Amino acid sequence: MTASLDPVTLQILKSHFEAAAESMAYTLLRTAHSAFVKETEDFTSGLTTPCGQTFASPKDLGATWFVGLDYAGVIGAIDSYRPGDICITNDPYSGYVCTHAPDMHLWMPVFAGERLMCFAVGHIHNTDMGGAVPASLSRALTEVHQEGIRIPPCKLVDGGVMDEKLLAVMLRNVRMPEQNWGDLKAQIASLKTAERKMHEAIARFGADMVHAGMYGVLDLAERQARRLFASIDDGEYGFSDYIDEDSPGGVPCRLKLTIRVRGEEAEFDFSGSDPQLQSALNMPTGGLPRHILPLVGYNYVVYSLDPTVALNCGLSRPVRCILPEGSVVNPVHPAATGMRSLTCTRIQGIVIGAFSRALPGRLPAGPAGGGGILNVRTTDARTGRLAMASINPITGGGGGAANGDGQDGSNSFLKNTPVEITEAEVPIRVLSYGLQPDSGGPGLHRGGLGTQMTFQVFTPNSVVTARNRDRVRFSSWGAAGGLAGATCGFTRNPGTANAEDLGNTDVVRCAPGDVLTISASGAGGWGDPFERPVEAVLRDVAQGKVSEAGARAYGVAIAGGVLDQAATEALRAAPRPAPQAITLDPARIAFERVWSEAAWDRLSELLFALPVEWRFFMKHQTFAQVAQDAAAEADPVAAIERGFAAAAAPYPQLAVRQGEAA
Amino acid sequence: MGYRIGVDIGGTFTDFCVLDEASLALRTLKVLSRPDAPGEEVLHGLAEIERRFGIAPAEVSYFTHGSTVGVNAIIQGRGAKLCLLATAGFRDVLELARLKIPDPYDLFSRRPEPLVPRERVLEVRERMNPDGSTDIAPERASVLAALARAEALGAEGIVIGLLHSYANPAHEQAVKAMILAERPGLPVFCSAEIWPIVREYERSITACIHGSVQPRVAHYITRLEAALAARGVPVAPMVTKSNGGVMTAAAGKLRSIEMLLSGTASGAIGAGFVARQAGFARVMSLDVGGTSADVALLRDGMPDFRTGELVGDYPVFLPTVSVSSIGAGGGSIATVDDLGVLRVGPDSAGSVPGPACYGRGGAQATLTDAFAVKGVLGAGELGYGAVRIDAVAAATAMAVVGEALGRDTAAAAEAVVALAVANMYREVSRLFSQVGEEPSLYALLAFGGAGPMLGCLLAEEMGMRAVIVPRTPGVLAALGGLLADLRSDFVRVVFLDVAAANMVALQAAFGELAGEARAWLADSQGHAGDGVLSVAADLRYRGQSYEIEVALEPDWITQARPERIAAAFHARHAEIYGHADERAAVHLVALRVVIAGVTAKPDFPPEPAPPGDPVPARHVPVAHRGTVVRAALFDRAALPPGSRFAGPAVVAQDDTTTWVPPGFAGHVDPYGNLILVRS
Repeated sequence: MTASLDPVTLQILKSHFEAAAESMAYTLLRTAHSAFVKETEDFTSGLTTPCGQTFASPKDLGATWFVGLDYAGVIGAIDSYRPGDICITNDPYSGYVCTHAPDMHLWMPVFAGERLMCFAVGHIHNTDMGGAVPASLSRALTEVHQEGIRIPPCKLVDGGVMDEKLLAVMLRNVRMPEQNWGDLKAQIASLKTAERKMHEAIARFGADMVHAGMYGVLDLAERQARRLFASIDDGEYGFSDYIDEDSPGGVPCRLKLTIRVRGEEAEFDFSGSDPQLQSALNMPTGGLPRHILPLVGYNYVVYSLDPTVALNCGLSRPVRCILPEGSVVNPVHPAATGMRSLTCTRIQGIVIGAFSRALPGRLPAGPAGGGGILNVRTTDARTGRLAMASINPITGGGGGAANGDGQDGSNSFLKNTPVEITEAEVPIRVLSYGLQPDSGGPGLHRGGLGTQMTFQVFTPNSVVTARNRDRVRFSSWGAAGGLAGATCGFTRNPGTANAEDLGNTDVVRCAPGDVLTISASGAGGWGDPFERPVEAVLRDVAQGKVSEAGARAYGVAIAGGVLDQAATEALRAAPRPAPQAITLDPARIAFERVWSEAAWDRLSELLFALPVEWRFFMKHQTFAQVAQDAAAEADPVAAIERGFAAAAAPYPQLAVRQGEAA
Repeated sequence: MGYRIGVDIGGTFTDFCVLDEASLALRTLKVLSRPDAPGEEVLHGLAEIERRFGIAPAEVSYFTHGSTVGVNAIIQGRGAKLCLLATAGFRDVLELARLKIPDPYDLFSRRPEPLVPRERVLEVRERMNPDGSTDIAPERASVLAALARAEALGAEGIVIGLLHSYANPAHEQAVKAMILAERPGLPVFCSAEIWPIVREYERSITACIHGSVQPRVAHYITRLEAALAARGVPVAPMVTKSNGGVMTAAAGKLRSIEMLLSGTASGAIGAGFVARQAGFARVMSLDVGGTSADVALLRDGMPDFRTGELVGDYPVFLPTVSVSSIGAGGGSIATVDDLGVLRVGPDSAGSVPGPACYGRGGAQATLTDAFAVKGVLGAGELGYGAVRIDAVAAATAMAVVGEALGRDTAAAAEAVVALAVANMYREVSRLFSQVGEEPSLYALLAFGGAGPMLGCLLAEEMGMRAVIVPRTPGVLAALGGLLADLRSDFVRVVFLDVAAANMVALQAAFGELAGEARAWLADSQGHAGDGVLSVAADLRYRGQSYEIEVALEPDWITQARPERIAAAFHARHAEIYGHADERAAVHLVALRVVIAGVTAKPDFPPEPAPPGDPVPARHVPVAHRGTVVRAALFDRAALPPGSRFAGPAVVAQDDTTTWVPPGFAGHVDPYGNLILVRS
C-alpha cells in the first residue's frame, strides 16, 4: 500500500500539497463575499489524511490558529463517502472541529478512482449565524443555543446534489443570508480547487506515492517536534495566567498549564484551570489530547525555534493534553463558546511562558493584548443613514526577546483600517491613533508598545462594541529579568469632569459628542532593564516611546532630553531585587497575596468535586466570602476553605449532589 | 536614421540592446555592473558598442535607460535623511503601517524599521475633513516649531503627509509654503503631489520613498546627462518607469518615485513584445537571473498592473507592472539539514561569490551548479565570455549535497533541480489561483540568464504546452525599455456613488485629470501626437472595504452614462470574483487616467523559411531523470528560422543556455524565436 519514499520526492510532494492548500486559500479569498474572509482573513483551508490529520495548510494566508486541526471527529460522523460529497458542520459540540458557531467547516473527500485519498477541508468565520445578538458573539451569552443555529455534521452536497432543504433552514436562521450563501459558494469553489490540484498530483506521481507523501510530511513534522523535546531537560514546567473577568463584571478566570517533558514527548496538563464559565469564554475541546486550541501557542513556539518545521498535524504527535471535563478548556454542553478566542489567546501566552521556564531566555516575554476589536453603529447626521463598521483592532506589541525589542503596536496577522477610510465611511472623528508611550515592559530588550485610539461620536444611540477586552487588571509578564508590560484602558470623555472608566466593558452606548479612548496593553520586557544601553533608552525617549519618567525603570535619568550621567550611575548602582526568570505585574502580585497558587489549587479541588452546574456559582460565592475575610492573607488556603464552607452552608442540597459527584 | 539604444542595469550585468533603425538589425551586449560607480557601466558599454560594432555615440538617435540608483538607495538605507510632518495625533502612521507582522507564526517576527524613524516624524496642528473642507487650518506656530526641530535633527528634506490631503491638498500646500518661505530651496514634498490616493499610510510611505531617493536619483541623472553629452550622444536620454513606460530624464529628476521598479517592468514589456510577435495571446514570462526568479502574466502582450509593490522593505503605491518573485534564481543555495531534508533557497550565492561553477570563490552548491553537473551548462560560453563554467568546481560542491542525501553527485544535482522546479510550481500555482486563471492555457516565455534552463521543466509541471525562448533572452529588459511608450498615470479620489446626480462632479474630475495628462505628454515630454488616453475607476459596492479597477469608456463619463459604469463594474466583479450584485449601489472611490505617447516600434520583418534540420555542433551527455541522455548541442546563432529539432537538446548562446528535455520538439519561428512544444 505505502510506496517507499525518498526524502527528495517527499519535499517535492510537500510543495505540491502546499500548492494545493494555497490555491484553495487564494480561491476562497478571491471569491468570498464577506469582509471577515476578505479583509480579516478569518478562514482556513487545508488537506487531511482519510482519518482527518491535516498535512498541508497555506503558510501565509488565513487564520494562523488551526494548522494541524484534526478532522477525525467530524469525518467519522458520516457513514460513507463517495465522489461529489461535501459535508458541513458548525456545531462546537459535534466532533470538536468547529470551535464556535460562526465557524462553518466543510470537508470533501478526494478520490483516485475508487480509492479515498484525502479530504479537502476548511472553514470561514461567518459574520452572523443567528442567535441572541448580531454577529452571534457576546461575552454575556451563557448557552450555545444563544449563539446561533447549529448544523450537526452532515452532507450538504450528496454525490453532487445540494441538500436544498438544509440550506434553506440554515439561511432562514441567519441575519445576512446572502453573505453566508456567498461565502459558502466560495468555500465550495475552494474545495474543488483542492480536488483538481490533488488529481494533478495523483496523475503526476501516482496514488501510492501521494499516499506515502501525505504520511511522510506528517512523520517529518513529528521528527522535527521530537527533536525539540529531546533538547529540553526532562521535568515539569508550569505557568498560569488570568483573564481579568470570567463573565461581565466577574472575577478573574485562572488558566493553568503544567508541561511535563519526558524524553521526546510531553504532557500538557491544564488541570487547575477554572471550571467552565457562565459566559462565552469557554474553549470547546472535548478533552481531545491533541485538540488544536490549547496547542496554538505550541505551534508558534516550535516554529519560532525552528522555522524549517513542517506546519501540520504531525507536530502535535509527541504531545498529549490533559483537559479536565467541565473546565473552561473542556466545557460540557451547552456551555457558550463564542468568545473562546480570548481564552485561546491567553493560553497561547501561557504556553510561551511554560516553554520559557523549560528553555530560559530562548523565548520572548509575554505578548500584549486585551485591546479588543472595535466596531461602531451610529447614524450619519447628514443623511440619516445607519452606519455600521469595524473601526480597528486595538492591538498591542510583541514581547521583548533575546534578539531584540518586541515589535511595537502589533503581534498578529490582524490589519488595521486606515483612519481616512473610517472617517469617509462612518460619521466619527478619530482624534488620535498611535502607540501608547511607556506601555512596553522595561528590559534589556523592551516589550512592544500597545496602541491607543481616541475618537468621537456625534449622534445619539451610537453603540461602540469592543470584543475581547481584557488586560485592564493584569498585564503581560517580563522574562529573563525583564519587567511586565502596562495594563490597558478604556475611558469615556477622558480628562473631563465626567470622565468614566469603562474597564473591560465591551458594549458602550454613547451620547452625542462622547469621546472614547481605548488602548491595548503593552508586552513584557526581556532581560535586565538596567543593562539596556543608555543610548537605547535615550533613543526611546527621543522617539517618545518612553517618557523621561519611564526611563527611570531602566535606571536612566534624563531631564529635558539630556542624560544626567551622575544620577544614572547612582540609579543603576542602587540596591534592587535580583532579576527573575519571570516577572509578574504588580497587580497580579498583590492579588496573589490571597489568591496564591496553592489557594487556587485548593479552590479548584473543591469546585471540581462539585457537579458541573454548581462550580461557577460556588466559585463566585467563595470569592465573595474571601473578599470579606480580613485574615485571608495570613493563610490563603485556609481562607479559601473557610470561604467555600461558608458559601456552601446555605445549600444543603449541594451536600447530596457533592456525594453523587464523588 | 540612426541607432536606438536600450540599457538595463542589473545586479551583476548591465545589458544593452542596439537597434539599427535602417536595417532593423538588433545587437546586444553585456558588461559588468558598477554599483560602486553608477553610470560608469553605461559609458563603458557605449565605448564597447563603438569598439565592437563601430557605432559612434554621435549616431545614437534614441537612448533609454533603467537606473537602479533609487532602489539601491532604499535597500542600502542610504536615502536622504527626511522628516515627515503628520497631522497632530497621527505621528505613528509609518510606525504602525497596516499592523500585520510579516510572519504571524513567528514570535520573533518584526516589521521593517520605519523608513522615517519616529523621532523624525513631527506633528503639525491642522485637520481636514474627509470631504476636503477645513476643520482646523494649519497652525503656523506648530509648522515653524516642526521646521526648527527638523533642522535640529539635520533633515535633508521634508515630506508633508496630512490626513485627507487626497480630498484637498490645500493644507499640505499651505504648510509647504510656510516652510519654503523660511527655507527656500529645502526639498519639500507633499504627499498629495507625489500620489494623491486615499489611505494615509499608503500615501505617506510612497511620498517618503520619493523624498528619500529623489535627490540621489536627480544627481545621478544630471551627471549621466552631462557624461552622455560629453561623449557626443546628441539626444536627451529617456528613463524607464515602473509602469512599463518611459519618460524624459528631466522628468525623472522630479518623479524619481516612478522609476524604482523599472527593471522588472521593462522585462515584462520586452516579453510582451515577443509574445505578440510569436503569436501567443496568453503568456507567463519567466525571468530567472542569478539572484531572482520573476514571473508576469501577459494577455495580448499586456502585463497586469498592481500597487503596493515592494522597493526593498517598503511598498510603493503607484501603478506598477505586476511581476511576482517566485524564488532566488540560479544562485539559490542547496542545503541538507540534520534530518536529511533538502532545501533549495531562499539563501542565494548572489553574484558574489556566485555559484561554485563560476569560479569566483563560491563553494556552496547552487541551482546553476546543478545544471553544470547535469551537463546542460558548460558546453558553450556564457555571459559574453565574462563567465566560464567550471564543471569540476560544481561537482565538488554538489558532492557535499550528495553525501548528505546519500546519493551520487549526478543524482543530487537532479534532486536540486527537481526541488527548485517544485518550489516554483508552488509559487506559480498561487499566482494563478490569485487571478483565477488556468495555467494550461498559457505559454511560458523564458528569459534571463537562467530562465531558458528551467523553462521546459516548469512548463511540464504546470501543464503548459509551449515554451518561447526569445532571440535575445539575456537582454529582454533592455529591449523592453527600447520599445516602451511614454506613459504616465494620474489619479483623483472622488468618493461618489455612481448615480446621475454625481455625473457633473465626475465630469469635472475627469476633465482635470485628462488636462493634466495631456499637459504631461505635450509639455513635459514634448510629444507631438495626442497620445492615447485610457480611463479607469476604482469601484466597489457601497460598504465593501476594497476596490477593483475597471476600465471605462470616456464617453460614459462625458455623456453621463452611470448605468454603463455600473454595468462594467458588475461584469468585472463577476469576472474576478465569480459573483456580482446588480441591485447594490456602486461607489466610485477614485478615477484613474493613463496617457500613453506611442514611440516608434521596429517592425521586424518575418523571415519565413522552409523547415530545416540543423546539424548539431556535437552531442553532449546530460543527466536526466536517472539516466544519461545524448543531447544535441546547437549554437543558437546557427539556428535560422525554420530550423526544427527534437529534445533532448542544449541550445547555447552568448547570454543563456536553453535545456530542451526529451519530449519537447523545437522550432525557430520567422522572427527567430525558439518555440519548444511538449508532445
